[in-house]
Amino acid sequence: MNRMQKGLSALLAATTAIGLSACGAGAADSSNEAGQAALDPANPTKITFYSYSLAAPTMKAGMEHLIQEFNDTIGQEKGVIVEAVADPTYQQYKADISAGKAVDIVQHTFSTLDASRLNLGFKAYEDVFPKDQLEEHLKGIEPNALELGKIDGKMYGLAFTFSTPIVFMNGKLFRDAGLDPTNAPKTWADIKEASLKIKAATGKDGFGLAPNNGWTTEGLILSNGGEVLAQDRKSVKFAEPASVEAIEMWQDLYQNGAHAVGAEAELAEQFMAGNMGMYITSTALYSGIRKASEAGGWDVYGAGLPQFGDKPSIPVNSGSMLAVRPDTPTKNAAVWEFIKFVTSDRGYTIITSEIGYLPLRTALADDPNGLKDFIDKHPLYRINLEQLKHIHPVAIWPGEYASEITTLFSDAIGKSVISDSNVAETLQKAADEINKMIQ
Amino acid sequence: MSQALETSYAPPLPGKPSIARNRSLNGAKLWRKLKPYLYLLPALLLLGIWMYRPLLNTFYLAFHKWGMVPGTTPEFVGFDNFARLMENKSFIGSIGNTLFYTAGLLPFSILIPLLLASVTHQMEGRMKNVYRALFFVPMILAPVSVSAIWRWLFHPSNGLVNDVLLRLGAISQPIAYFSDPGFAKWLILFITGWKMVGFSTIMFSAALTGINREYYEAAAIDGAGSLKQFYRLTVPLLSPMILFMLTMSILFSSQWTFAYIDILTTGGPYGTSTNVYYEMYKYAFSNLNAGFSAAAALLFFIVFGVISLTLNQLSRRYSFYDN
Repeated sequence: MNRMQKGLSALLAATTAIGLSACGAGAADSSNEAGQAALDPANPTKITFYSYSLAAPTMKAGMEHLIQEFNDTIGQEKGVIVEAVADPTYQQYKADISAGKAVDIVQHTFSTLDASRLNLGFKAYEDVFPKDQLEEHLKGIEPNALELGKIDGKMYGLAFTFSTPIVFMNGKLFRDAGLDPTNAPKTWADIKEASLKIKAATGKDGFGLAPNNGWTTEGLILSNGGEVLAQDRKSVKFAEPASVEAIEMWQDLYQNGAHAVGAEAELAEQFMAGNMGMYITSTALYSGIRKASEAGGWDVYGAGLPQFGDKPSIPVNSGSMLAVRPDTPTKNAAVWEFIKFVTSDRGYTIITSEIGYLPLRTALADDPNGLKDFIDKHPLYRINLEQLKHIHPVAIWPGEYASEITTLFSDAIGKSVISDSNVAETLQKAADEINKMIQ
Repeated sequence: MSQALETSYAPPLPGKPSIARNRSLNGAKLWRKLKPYLYLLPALLLLGIWMYRPLLNTFYLAFHKWGMVPGTTPEFVGFDNFARLMENKSFIGSIGNTLFYTAGLLPFSILIPLLLASVTHQMEGRMKNVYRALFFVPMILAPVSVSAIWRWLFHPSNGLVNDVLLRLGAISQPIAYFSDPGFAKWLILFITGWKMVGFSTIMFSAALTGINREYYEAAAIDGAGSLKQFYRLTVPLLSPMILFMLTMSILFSSQWTFAYIDILTTGGPYGTSTNVYYEMYKYAFSNLNAGFSAAAALLFFIVFGVISLTLNQLSRRYSFYDN
């Protein structure tokens, strides 16, 4: 027994310590092939597509339709098979790249693009796709959106699924509180007033913006004339007075008793259950919210991001781009076929009508053969398209420290909003730490 | 007791050349020497591949910078990872939480199970097993589904807990438990503990069945009450198991809380519920910085190594074996 005990303890010590360890790499160095080889329909090329939309209940069906339609039409005709992988937390593609698996296309978020470019072998579009075809294809896509995936003048991500922040409103609660949902609150002061009225009249929370929303926060800071990351990406600016003032406004809103408490997922559930007056989130949730409201017997209204006083608001974008890392000329060609399809008129018709993201080929909204009928029926999308014109990109954090910076920034925002800490001090502390890393 | 005699040496048979005899003798000797190692080989191979190779790899990576991408080579950075680690506030903060979880789990892994095991041990018949099964059920539930259940119970707007407390008038506003620094880590601790209780209870129950009943009869005759029997007989006789569970609890508390941290709070709100393992996981698989993660792992290898050696000493000194 004694000896067994001793052995066990030793074993425990060893197992515990080896919590994390990495195995050696095996795969050979993949060179950068710029050319394109011919595809063969008789011998189709398989490529993988990692998508977080596939893991979200409100987006899954639409994304599956998009992929299936490609496989059934162009894929079959040209010889490409796309295998989709659901990646809810943006971890699977990293793990699979580390494991040496083929990860060809990723539905990638904005803030960590530079990190992926530096560490994970993602490639610039100009380096793997034919230049003339690329230029031709990009015509008609909102130029503002195209800028977002560029680092050092090269495109590492093509804008794919896009949304802007929307104030969703529960029409029933608005009317119960004696408010008119068609006359939406325009400023943050309006939001505060309406939320307190809703709370007083219905007992339900008037407003919700999750402290961990991850992106709308940046719109808040920009709208008040603040900056998140300096132009040269060498320092952060979110601790300067304009930004601090914006976050202080939110802190006051959060703690006035009419603000819903909880994390993003919990707030979405609360709003969809009909228990919240106004909720700021991505348009991507629109299809889910619409279904929930129909089931719950209330109606949804929408408005753009509120502004500070008379300063026009500056919404940021949420959503994704397509980042690619094909490693052979054949795969270059196969990946290009898929990219072309999903960002085509047909692709965006599916994305907008079935998932809820914006059509980045904005002309589709007025095209009777495109999305005109759909958008006339759901005028909320017009607000989005309007916001798209003055959209500002979210910060793409300097690659080397991107994840640490994201954590520091969002923790500081969370602490400022949830607790009654001094906003200026909290933000300054985080900014100092980040600046120390990137300078 | 009899002793088996070694009979490997046999007198040489007549008519056989002496050289051949010598060689076969050496072969047999070698075989006899090799045999125990062959028996050990499978275990050594498994340990080597799954434990010592990764361990050595961790030592190596701690001094390198590497994103784990195939085709890239780790870059030697000396002690940079350790320096960066010491400056990292979230890592320093997570050490405090790790201590909180380690100490906070002890009642759930030792005190409560010890009481539950002793109480159910004295029960007769079927109910004894029914109770023990009830305690054990949380242990076999998958952490993800357990988290989903707790998440719904503590949901800020639709959760049962808030609903009841609001009705009772105990609170005036619903609480977002997993987004509130005052509640998040306590709930993580409680859920991990709730799951832990069943396992420890079964371990203690098993150890209790090994105690000779005659001791209790003798103690009762000598006039010892049930409380006195508990701390004069049960506790000392269970000491090996208590020390074993203590070791398990201290060394594994960080790992057992991991799943709930990941699913319920992802370390938040603002890093107040994270622990070192979750931080290490983030460094390696979210930040793709294997070297940084390895440096943290190496530090904790040393810390936990010291703790387990100390506990080993304690175990040797204080365990009482009723052999």
